[in-house]
Amino acid sequence: MKKILVLLVSVLFTLSSFGQSSIDYSPVNTVTQVGDTLIMKFQYFKGDGNSLNLGQFDFEYNNKLLSYISHESQAPNGASFARNNWTGYQYVPKANSDEDDMDVQYVWWRDEAGSASYIGSADWSVERITVQSASALENGQEFIKYQFKIKDKFNSGYDNYNNIIKVNWANYQESNGTQIQAIKSPSAQSLSGIEGGNAGAFVINLKTPNTDNYTDYNYTILDSNGNSVATGNFDESGQASVSGLENNVTYTAEANLKEDATYLDNVVTVSDLALVFAEAIGAGSGPSGGSTTFDYFIQDIMGDVVGDNNGVDFQDSYEILAYLQGVTSGNTNLITQDGQTEDYSGIESTYGAVANDVVTFAKSFTPLDSDATSKTIDLAHGLRGDVNFSHSWEPTVSSGEKATSAQSSARMSMSVGSKFNNTENANIDLISEINSEGQVVFSINSDVEGMVGSQFNIVYDPNVIELENVIFDTGNTMTNFSNVIQDGYVRIGSFDQEFESTVKQGTPYKLIFTPLETIDNTSGLISFRVKEGVKADGTKINFIIQ
Amino acid sequence: MKKLLLLLLTFTILIGCVKDDEFLEPIINEEIPQSLQIKELIGIKLENTIVTDRVAMNVKLPLDGKYRIKIRHGLNNELVSQEMIEGEAGDNLLRVYVASLDKSGYMIQLTDEFHNILGNQSFVVN
Repeated sequence: MKKILVLLVSVLFTLSSFGQSSIDYSPVNTVTQVGDTLIMKFQYFKGDGNSLNLGQFDFEYNNKLLSYISHESQAPNGASFARNNWTGYQYVPKANSDEDDMDVQYVWWRDEAGSASYIGSADWSVERITVQSASALENGQEFIKYQFKIKDKFNSGYDNYNNIIKVNWANYQESNGTQIQAIKSPSAQSLSGIEGGNAGAFVINLKTPNTDNYTDYNYTILDSNGNSVATGNFDESGQASVSGLENNVTYTAEANLKEDATYLDNVVTVSDLALVFAEAIGAGSGPSGGSTTFDYFIQDIMGDVVGDNNGVDFQDSYEILAYLQGVTSGNTNLITQDGQTEDYSGIESTYGAVANDVVTFAKSFTPLDSDATSKTIDLAHGLRGDVNFSHSWEPTVSSGEKATSAQSSARMSMSVGSKFNNTENANIDLISEINSEGQVVFSINSDVEGMVGSQFNIVYDPNVIELENVIFDTGNTMTNFSNVIQDGYVRIGSFDQEFESTVKQGTPYKLIFTPLETIDNTSGLISFRVKEGVKADGTKINFIIQ
Repeated sequence: MKKLLLLLLTFTILIGCVKDDEFLEPIINEEIPQSLQIKELIGIKLENTIVTDRVAMNVKLPLDGKYRIKIRHGLNNELVSQEMIEGEAGDNLLRVYVASLDKSGYMIQLTDEFHNILGNQSFVVN
């Protein structure tokens, strides 16, 4: 009996000392001051008998306290490496489970959580690192080193630097796909003893709904003579820290979006067209006008895409329609589109305010040593043509609101005072397949009722397939459009200017592609960007695809 | 002691009566490259996790029929691409074309025609 017990104890001891692998992360250097550069390393430790060939993990950092500077792959020679990042998300660990159990959290993210694994959270940024190697990674192999700038916690909403970096999950696999159990160490990374930082550091908070792309925006600060005293880009949290400004001096600030952003063709869509048409039917409006379907005076400026400073009229609506149809109108329009931006920016608290019948974008500010709140401004940004504020800040100042929205025409049913940004969700099915003739068919199937307009921006691989035809089955009275924006990028849709006809249910759009090489399937060949519809009352329809 | 022997005998007989099939490993198709072999009876697997331009894919199906292959954004789960295939039972060697996808993290997903999930794999377009 004693022997059996000894044997049992020996086996248990052996098993317990044969631990799990881990993802370890820790600072490489010592940081003590706001503005210091923190170097973090992320490292693999082998705690079992498995061979690691794929290491993938997500971590999140507090972007109000850390600003990303750079990263450096530490993957061994011959290994593949990838880094992805997203701002404005925070991980939701699996309930009733160990947050340090990395493979459990990974399976939760991959198979169980769906869209519930990450929630929107402006204070956090998520990084994803993938290292794949044909040969097994060695114990202690570093995946990556990051450099972060320590930000001032003043006005950040945080009192300390606790738990500012956390690994969310880790996907460790052998070459045959076997999942390797892993834990993380530590549970979260904190910093202590950080000194410095005060109200002397001037902060600009960018206000835009385009939160995934804060770093595409830059700021310029001018002195009273119009000379530039500071320029730079916003960081991934939409903040810019500016130094060198003087107290009791008045400056102006403006924000601009870069003109080579990849999504500019998605800014002005059929929803904006519907709003501008409705406004034009209502016989236009100025800042003092009462007959309008707009909710804010700033929309009169943003909708004036022809730039005649005459508010919104039919010329503007037809200009947007021509743009969506890919027709050259002869006008030099100001519509935000690929390679072209027309920016508006101003201090958020007065952005779009009306003074003496003029829409204003006040930009001036004066830092005061006696007033800590004067060391921070919120700078709002908007784009010409974007009257539904998909990529532009919605004003909050009361004088910028139109109080007397009115029914503008019997021809359309934009309701009195209807908000421009009412939205509905509706299910559609977008699917590609190869037909019996070997063509690639991309079908848009919809059972949505009451749409007076719809738009789909579709991207495809022009090296593999060639667009041959677009088949519309939207009904007899819809105005359809399809135009190739560039090779591999097509915009299709429909719009009824009378606000009476609606897009037919069924398969209103079908794109036919000819393969340029032999293909057996179409996965990834065709993807969707803009996919939205609009109803006669101005409600925007966000299409949900299962 | 007799009772103990009887119990052991009964247990042995019961074990012996279990169908051998339940202990069989899934058959691995030797024609499938090792990097695409799927041990389970149903699933989806890419040849590489980090992808540029295109990558080989194995879709292992339980039955002949229509299936969907979906590509979802790796963080917000939004569907960005979808195809319908007419698959055969067993391994189906296909490709994923990623040249027109933004550089980002994604999830590729195998479902039946009615959106019931049969397999997932994360991948990165680099």
